[in-house]
Amino acid sequence: MKKKLVAVLMTAAMAVSLAACSGAAETTDNATETPAAEATETPAADTAEEPAAEAEIAQGSEDAISNLIAATEGTVDLTLWCSELESYQNTMKELVDEFKTTYSDVDFNITIGAQSESTCKDEILKDVEAAADVFVFADDQLNELVQAGALQAVTATYTFDPVAANGAGAVNAASLNGVCYAYPLTASNGYFLIYDKSLLSEEDVSSWENLVAACEAQGKKCGFDFANGWYLYGFFSGAGCNCTLAEDGVNNVCDWNGETGLAVAEAVKALCSSDAVISIGDADARAQAKDGDLIAYVDGTWAIEDFQAAYGDNLACVKLPTFDVNGSAVQQGSFAGYKLVGVNSYSKNVGWAMLLAEYITNEASQLKIGANTQEGPANINAASQISSPALSALGAQSAYADLQRVGGNFWTPAGTLGQSLYDGTAEDVQKALDDAVAGITAAAE
Amino acid sequence: MKRFFKALQKYFADFGTAVSKGDIWVKLSLIIMGMGYIGRGQVIKGLIVTALEAGFVLFTKNISWPYISKLNTLGTVQREEVFDPLTMTKTVNDYDNSLLILLMGVLGICVIVAFIFLYIANIKATYRVMLRKKEGKHVNNFREDLRELINDKFHITLLSLPAIGVLFMCVLPIIFMVCIAFTNYDAAHQPPSALFTWVGWKNFLTLIQNKQGSTFGYAFGKILIWTLIWAALATVTTYIGGILLAMLINHQDTKLKKMWRTLFVITIAIPQFVTLLLISKMFGNYGIVNGILQQLHITDFMQEMGWISTSYVPFMTSSGLTHVMIILINIWVGVPYQMLIATGILMNIPSDQLESARIDGANKFQIFWKITMPYMLFITGPSLVTGFIGNINNFNVIYLLTGDYVTTDASLAAANAKDVDLLITWLFKITSESTLKQYYMASVIGIVVFIICATLTLVTYSRMIKGDSEEVFQ
Amino acid sequence: MKAKRVVGSFFRHLLLAILAFIWLIPIVWLFVTSFSTDPGIRTTHFFPEHWTFLNYQKLLFQPDTVANFPAWFKNSMIIGIFTCIISSAFVLMVSYAFSCMRFPARKKLMSFSIILGMFPGVLSMIAIYFVLKMFNLTDSLAGLIVVYSAGSGLGFLICKGFFDTIPASLRESAKIEGASELVVFTRIVIPLSRPMIVYTVINAFLAPWMDFVMAKLMIRSKDPADWTVAIGLYNILQKTLIGQYFSIFCAGGVIVAIPISILFIIMQKFYVEGITGGAVKG
Repeated sequence: MKKKLVAVLMTAAMAVSLAACSGAAETTDNATETPAAEATETPAADTAEEPAAEAEIAQGSEDAISNLIAATEGTVDLTLWCSELESYQNTMKELVDEFKTTYSDVDFNITIGAQSESTCKDEILKDVEAAADVFVFADDQLNELVQAGALQAVTATYTFDPVAANGAGAVNAASLNGVCYAYPLTASNGYFLIYDKSLLSEEDVSSWENLVAACEAQGKKCGFDFANGWYLYGFFSGAGCNCTLAEDGVNNVCDWNGETGLAVAEAVKALCSSDAVISIGDADARAQAKDGDLIAYVDGTWAIEDFQAAYGDNLACVKLPTFDVNGSAVQQGSFAGYKLVGVNSYSKNVGWAMLLAEYITNEASQLKIGANTQEGPANINAASQISSPALSALGAQSAYADLQRVGGNFWTPAGTLGQSLYDGTAEDVQKALDDAVAGITAAAE
Repeated sequence: MKRFFKALQKYFADFGTAVSKGDIWVKLSLIIMGMGYIGRGQVIKGLIVTALEAGFVLFTKNISWPYISKLNTLGTVQREEVFDPLTMTKTVNDYDNSLLILLMGVLGICVIVAFIFLYIANIKATYRVMLRKKEGKHVNNFREDLRELINDKFHITLLSLPAIGVLFMCVLPIIFMVCIAFTNYDAAHQPPSALFTWVGWKNFLTLIQNKQGSTFGYAFGKILIWTLIWAALATVTTYIGGILLAMLINHQDTKLKKMWRTLFVITIAIPQFVTLLLISKMFGNYGIVNGILQQLHITDFMQEMGWISTSYVPFMTSSGLTHVMIILINIWVGVPYQMLIATGILMNIPSDQLESARIDGANKFQIFWKITMPYMLFITGPSLVTGFIGNINNFNVIYLLTGDYVTTDASLAAANAKDVDLLITWLFKITSESTLKQYYMASVIGIVVFIICATLTLVTYSRMIKGDSEEVFQ
Repeated sequence: MKAKRVVGSFFRHLLLAILAFIWLIPIVWLFVTSFSTDPGIRTTHFFPEHWTFLNYQKLLFQPDTVANFPAWFKNSMIIGIFTCIISSAFVLMVSYAFSCMRFPARKKLMSFSIILGMFPGVLSMIAIYFVLKMFNLTDSLAGLIVVYSAGSGLGFLICKGFFDTIPASLRESAKIEGASELVVFTRIVIPLSRPMIVYTVINAFLAPWMDFVMAKLMIRSKDPADWTVAIGLYNILQKTLIGQYFSIFCAGGVIVAIPISILFIIMQKFYVEGITGGAVKG
């Protein structure tokens, strides 16, 4: 493959890179405040020169790689963690083999491990030093991985520019405080509505009220995982409530107990009062769908295969429905989800790990992953070549999706709020909200 | 207490005597520990002891001292890395790792303490050898020393290996974790990238206080009560259930005893996590039990009666019902074990006692309460206490059964707890599932659990350990 | 009188049958699900609609990136065997020392050990991990063997209780005849405590098959071939996999149960033999 330079070797150019990487991030001004950025800038300052012409920089990138090849002795051991699903593992194996041929001068020993992206962080944080060199993780873990210093910041790139190549949302998800910490891989880790189109019309799935009415009429069920903060968030964010990381990057700010929040919570509670609405987890939902009871459910691409088996050709996906708040229809929001590839900052072969991460996230690789799995690429060009009902539903939802930036104290209280709204134990909704917000915003020392 | 001080006094007095009254060899062994033996012809023993001493010095000086010296701050140098984009390599400063400092520091101190004991014992031993020689008594040669090790000192041979294992895998980790309770080790202070340090008793206060923004105190009280209720109920139900089942099977009229026993024992043979997860799936909101209840229209009936508000029976997801279910499922899990144990013991009940009771005209219940139960209690009393403690720490049953449970108590949720959590599962969640990873709180809870268990045991056991019951049957 | 006895006996058997039925429901469900053609969890039928051996075939002969059962089984077996040898030896040694020997600080040591065993193990896991790392034993079977067996000496209580019931006169007469403690231990006490040894051995053998928390922490490798049965089966149950692998999980549970069931059936025999041993000491 053609090595295209995007990277930057000098101070000035590097600053540009940092800014570029964070292109769409909300905060670019404090890029230099983070330790990682400082660390990377100090050495470069010594060799500061005028920004070179593009050709020269391209030369520099080639140089860096050939330097690396020259400096590499013996076998390079790398570990790569990605999803345990067979399709993923096989695709990654192909990509790794291609990577080895690309750099055939070097002897690689690359181990591919099976580690679900959703729990990747837990495994890494147990012992960063013994974790994989390159790993695929879900974007919600970025914050904690950065906090633990486990991610090597993407301060320089060598074969292509992830910032330009990938969608702005994905790049944003990979950045924190203006520093890019990971390479976007997929942009399909969010959720949308999956339904059986033989039983529900497009009109039915446009709003929760219609959906519930249609389900009630047929004696069927529609499901949503109310007891999970990840999904519940969509109701509140859709109505304009706010819940996000505070300035310190650890605690949360949340206004769900305000007036709007109260209206949303009442709406959710009203919705749940119907027998046709069930709060159901993802694994149970798939079984219910198979039995034919559940005809609509909010879930992500990872569940498509099972729902396909249940609904057959009648499987349809659509953006989330609207719901009624104080008499007006409000589009339900959601969390946007991305899968990112991170490089362990404790990796012994950090250079090669970065090149591997670049390789498996380049356009061709993303295309391959997209073709072999249910997932949608983060790469703009690759994304345009892959389509599926699920991905178009995600695309439509993306306008209402937020980047997942909530601190650790969000999950349990939010889940509890959802559960108590669903089963009606929250008689005093305002109090339930106050309690939940107190838990969500509780200071983690 | 007084006795303890007296013993301590004697311990050091003996050492003093040995040092002051010892001859040149004893005094030499103050510096080179083996000299006391070498001087009396016990060359091999002397060399071994000296080698130990040298090993200790090397270990402490080269390995553990750098860590011990940083124990007071737990490290000051934060990790800093520099990535050079031109060579694609990075340089990292020589940073401190608080975790390693604490662990190696604790290990180093343990080694030092152990060495001091050995050192004092060694001086006393050389002094004793000197006295023996002076009195013209026989001094063991190396072969005789070895013989001692399978005779009078056989316990040393027996205990040393297990003791080393226990030291490394139990004592060291425990001391380490106790220390963590006094630090601020959490996600924000996680080595190797960040440092943590000592904070004193603050974390213990957090556990008992219920201040703004922290509901640990509330959660702790609630979970502690449920833990104790659970442990008591779980122990008693399985214990009695096991005995009754064993009596049922072992009754003289029961045919095919072995078959019945095997049927129950099969349930133990499948790993607990498999059966427990399976059962939790069966009783899930959309599990097979609810599926069948629905088909039989029992769910509808219950809904009409207003017993449940949902379209399923929330076996494992509602407070109260879940608590009951957990106890019931635990009976399922625990009774076969207890049955096996009880079977073994029941068969050992002195039959003459039963016979004479029967002749005296006692009925079955009287025999059960007056003879069988007291006998069982006598034999299994200790296991009842261990059972209770075991249930306080019964991680598997609770953790595997309550995966789907979502608490509706916001104060509990804020402390990462659920109504059905035990202290032990709570502390596990704090370290493993919460993103804040408040290791220090987990450690505080662990210490509390430990104190509860240790007190209980000491109170109930002291008689059993100190008393002479161990010789009753000998 | 006789009629009453027959009726009593009938009800006794009926009760046993009902209890056994209750106890076996989950086991039967596990068993029948392992033959289901449907890979996910069934929620409406107790018995699968279509039966197949495919799950077993997949599990045993077609290891994939998620399930590598043959390797898991081998690893667990190795760990189980070594753990049970080492820990049984430790338990017997400690029990003998505490029960049959008299030495200073014996009771203090015993109390200390009992209290030590009470510290919640879940808590010290992290520390154990780093201790193992210090010895470079993480990610290896040897490391897990150490974890499972090193602390086993603390579990001496039941075994010591058994040794206490062996008449001291037996040991003393042997010693009068010139036997060393070692000989008394290996030739007299151990042969007498066969039921106890079986109990200890089986308990020690089972631990590695049951534990997933510790094993998951100690084995960092993400290559399924390095896992134990417990890690592997537990891993299958995560959300993304359960829909495709639940029946295979059940098949795995059944296969694991086979060797352990056999062990337990043997153990029963020894419980009965324990009575004969009891007759001697009575």
